[in-house]
Amino acid sequence: MTSLAAELGRIVGDAHVIARATQLLVYRSDALPGLQRAPALAVFPGTRDELVAVVRALAAAGAPFVARGAGTGLSGGALAEGITLLGLHRLKRILALDPIGRTATVEPGVVNATLTRAAAPHGLHYAPDPSSQTACTIGGNIAENAGGPHCLKYGVTLDHAVRATVVLPGGEVVTLDRGDADRGDGSGGGYDLLGAFIGSEGCFGVVVDVTVRLTPDPERVITLLADFMRVRDAADATSRIIAAGVLPAALELMDQPTIEAVESSVYAAGYPRDAAAVLLIEVDGAAAGLEDDAREVERLCRAAGARGVRVAHDASERARLWQGRKKAFGAMGRVAPHLVVQDAVVPRSQLAELLDDIAAIGAQHGVRICNVFHAGDGNLHPNIPYDAHDAGESARVHAAMTEIMTRCIEAGGTITGEHGVGLDKLPYMEQLFTPDTLDAMCSLRAVFDPDRRANPGKVVPVRACREWHAAVAARPATHDGGGA
Amino acid sequence: MSALLRDAPATAAQAATIIRDAAAADRVLRLVGAGTWLDAGHPVRAHAELSTEQLAGITSYRPEDLTLSAGAGTTLAELDAATRVHGQWCPLLPWGDDRGTIGATIATATSGPFAERLGRPRELVLGLECVDGTGRIVAAGGRVVKNVAGFDLTRAVTGSWGTLGLITQVHLRLRARPVVDESWAVDVPASAVAAIEAFARGPFAPLACVMMGTDGPHPEAPEDGHWMVRLGGNEANLAAARAALRAIGTLRPLASEAWDELRIARAPVERALRWRWDPLSRRLRERFDPAQVLNRGLLGEVA
Amino acid sequence: MSTHDLVPLERARAGLDACVHCGFCLPACPTYLALEDENDSPRGRLLLMGALLDGSVRPDDPAVGTHLDQCLGCRGCETACPSGVPYGRLLEATRESLLPHRPLPFVARVVLGVFANEWALRPALALARLARASGIAALAARLLPARLAMPFAMLASTARPERQGYEPQGDGSRGTASLLTGCVMEGLFTEVNRATERTLTVNGWTMRTTDGQRCCGALHAHAGDADTARALARENIAAFERSGADVVVLNSAGCGAMCREYGHLLADDRAWAVRASAFSDRVRDVHQLLASAGPVMLPVPAHARDVAAGAIRVAYDAPCHLQHAQRIVEPPLAVLHAANGVSLVPLADSDQCCGSAGIFNLVLPEVAERVLAPKLVRIAESGADVVATGNPGCLMQIGGGLRLSGSEVQVRHPVELLDESYARAQRPG
Repeated sequence: MTSLAAELGRIVGDAHVIARATQLLVYRSDALPGLQRAPALAVFPGTRDELVAVVRALAAAGAPFVARGAGTGLSGGALAEGITLLGLHRLKRILALDPIGRTATVEPGVVNATLTRAAAPHGLHYAPDPSSQTACTIGGNIAENAGGPHCLKYGVTLDHAVRATVVLPGGEVVTLDRGDADRGDGSGGGYDLLGAFIGSEGCFGVVVDVTVRLTPDPERVITLLADFMRVRDAADATSRIIAAGVLPAALELMDQPTIEAVESSVYAAGYPRDAAAVLLIEVDGAAAGLEDDAREVERLCRAAGARGVRVAHDASERARLWQGRKKAFGAMGRVAPHLVVQDAVVPRSQLAELLDDIAAIGAQHGVRICNVFHAGDGNLHPNIPYDAHDAGESARVHAAMTEIMTRCIEAGGTITGEHGVGLDKLPYMEQLFTPDTLDAMCSLRAVFDPDRRANPGKVVPVRACREWHAAVAARPATHDGGGA
Repeated sequence: MSALLRDAPATAAQAATIIRDAAAADRVLRLVGAGTWLDAGHPVRAHAELSTEQLAGITSYRPEDLTLSAGAGTTLAELDAATRVHGQWCPLLPWGDDRGTIGATIATATSGPFAERLGRPRELVLGLECVDGTGRIVAAGGRVVKNVAGFDLTRAVTGSWGTLGLITQVHLRLRARPVVDESWAVDVPASAVAAIEAFARGPFAPLACVMMGTDGPHPEAPEDGHWMVRLGGNEANLAAARAALRAIGTLRPLASEAWDELRIARAPVERALRWRWDPLSRRLRERFDPAQVLNRGLLGEVA
Repeated sequence: MSTHDLVPLERARAGLDACVHCGFCLPACPTYLALEDENDSPRGRLLLMGALLDGSVRPDDPAVGTHLDQCLGCRGCETACPSGVPYGRLLEATRESLLPHRPLPFVARVVLGVFANEWALRPALALARLARASGIAALAARLLPARLAMPFAMLASTARPERQGYEPQGDGSRGTASLLTGCVMEGLFTEVNRATERTLTVNGWTMRTTDGQRCCGALHAHAGDADTARALARENIAAFERSGADVVVLNSAGCGAMCREYGHLLADDRAWAVRASAFSDRVRDVHQLLASAGPVMLPVPAHARDVAAGAIRVAYDAPCHLQHAQRIVEPPLAVLHAANGVSLVPLADSDQCCGSAGIFNLVLPEVAERVLAPKLVRIAESGADVVATGNPGCLMQIGGGLRLSGSEVQVRHPVELLDESYARAQRPG
């Protein structure tokens, strides 16, 4: 490993290679500190040329590696156990911003909110807005296919990426697009390689630069806060709004324990502390008729049993309501020392029923569940604050989470809507997908990374890969970096 | 083509058997939906046709979820009828007519006049089931509207023209029909072309805004352009949008059927697709259909 | 390594547990942005603190020294933190815990020693004023190589053009206030202190003087020398008890933040805890006091309009210890709005630290320089004639940096600009 460190140091400068154990501590985890795996080495290229050279050096050494943006992920996806961690946070230049064509080309380490800030003078913004947008990077967003509250109307990362330059784990630099790029005479076509790449959690290659679409700022925004005395009623209001065909820009639900955590933090937003749940709803678009949409949303909330519906009067009140929502996860840090975060998606018509079930599971295991989630998408985030030093409580939390996930899968849902599988949700993959499907996923990975050197051991359990079994059978003594 | 043997499996498992047998015998299968659509311009020397006609029908539809699952052989007309009664639609509505199947629409990633506003196939497909060239039955993606579990096979298969697998079932995102939905023919003077283009990109975000000209999708700058515009929204929104349009040109009401006629009129003319056969794309084809059982030669690949 | 050596940190442990590792602090951290290693971020430093406590890292580990020393203590992370991690207190507790294990660098010991001893501080400041007045500072700033020149440039930038005073008129209806004059403020920014007293008088306060004041102890507390900080705090508390004004007013953001912490600093001192928190409760920043009265706007008579309305373009740069440590954001802007002749221009990233951070720029000049560099670029982009900021460290760091880069932009305290507009309003016709 020392010769690899020296080689990487020659490329990026010794100051940007870390091999000392105490300085690798912080790179042991992402934003899910319950999972920790120490890397052997960390390398931080400062230019795109350095990035490509680093990946080629790793390829020449046959060394597995894990790409990492800002380490704000919530699935343990960027952990590099005993291997090289490739930090992309120094690649933070906005390479081009085209206000007419409404696109921007950026390096992978550009922070999501920084891009929106750069686009703001042109009346544009970058639409995917994960709650970590002030810190997370566009490269990480591509790897995770990040969502956010406003993807209810505007779509997830996948819907906003146009083209990417990617260095494959073997060192080859390729340009990926959605397969519908105009090749001059309208007769072009190709596989949706970019679509396949987005959300591949760092297993297919590393983004060198990416071109994304910028979205015009809406002419007007109306933000409403509806509060309910029963969580069920808030879920019911959500279903009514979706079914009625009003497409809000965002529709977020926070329950009482979450409201309490937020209101006790520096981001106190003025949510009513005595409510069982609040819905934060936003409608946006052309100014004309928007108030009618807001009135319709208010009517549907009241019909579902809302106690009160409040409209944000100005931009600062709107910002305050949103700050509370976006910092809710961090605010739970004050409730208990540790936190598990889940990310299941269920059919929207079953939200009320699922929330009842989740509450029952929590009660049965004696754990406190805080729900804060993208209700409009049916994307649940049941979070459990707990003390990991308490073995009994940890076991109960784990049991409750497993039951919740199983329940969501039974309801026809999925195990992750935006956080990714990473290491955290690996155990559920075989519950969710058939062996054929998992093997097909391995085939897709093999197209980009046949040696499984990029982020080994994540997303798909390696035992689900038939080719791996064949390889292992052929040379039983060899250790495979992809061992899960 | 009609002289060819035709297999029409009723289940994915039957399709898998047919494909595995074909692979073992080095036979080539031509995938067929309604058979109404033109090919990509390259001849497929097939030994048999593999049809989705038995894989038809809506398998699951809960309007409250705004999602729907259907067999690949389900026609667009059937989807339209089933969703319309709930005030919803599957807004794919590609160029061509409604006899086409949803499977073919997804396999070719064909979009139409509403794609800009309401989504392309690659955005509206939540998941799908397909049988690849090795006979694996792949259940990609899911039925919920947001999903990042596992690698995105759905995106790889959508728009792959059947060269990675036979789509047997699709899960779709639907949209609610707008409260008010109206269409206008707009005569736009040459001086106002920039204005209507700005309108199309502006806050009113019309469902569709298509320049007609004399014929074809891209006529040479007509002096007085004719445009078809479809607006959707609530009453107040549409009143304002209409006023904005009147400031640009002269409005004449259009029946909504005009859009169906437009889709048929602009169905793609036969041409050879120039497929991007870069090393990654070749590896993708190899991994999912190594024997080139499915649509061999359709995309001009070297056998 | 047993952890009982790390008593102050051990006692602050609950603050560490609040961190959920979300990473929202990263973009708020000037050293992370400049050095691009997460060890130099709040998340990294908190992790090192935790590792010290659980024994997985030894206090003499070079990683601990490097990365904790490189923290500016700007507390920008506290504003960004959704979990309410008390980072500033944790940092000071850690530095205090580490002091027995690793002595402070020589430069730091000399500077802290001077500030703790009146017999050294007064001559030192007098010498500095002499160097400034004689032009030696400006000359050295011009002739020496950049890194050596910076301290002289900082000193030279504190010079103020001579101007006429005026007799402030006020009704004294709002109560009594006494200024904690501060070492650097009174020594090098004498005019700002006088301007503070005059503007407060105009705004209805009766000013009292307080004898027996000392350095506030902020520099010592930040460096981990809590004992000296406590000793200085006790003297100040006693002095201001004697003078008995309703409020203790500060015009230095760093000193103000420290004075608000006296209650925490002396919480375990049975004899002083109550007195300390009573003192902290009386502390106000000058902008707060001025803004709470409007502030008073005095119309400038036609004959005194040598400055056309809105002619001076002023960019406000927020001192970290005002916006993050004291959460005072709007009042300085209100003060600038009330100053006739000033038009505010936006300054991008004005919430980012300038790299001054007490004596940080003297101890780790390379890092301070890298943090300052983007600030100077943003100032140039803003098109401002004047940068206004309410902290002596920031005034000198930005002032010195601008001077070395050949910029004509002036750096002033917001209160000075208000005071100048009051002076014009009262100029006899």
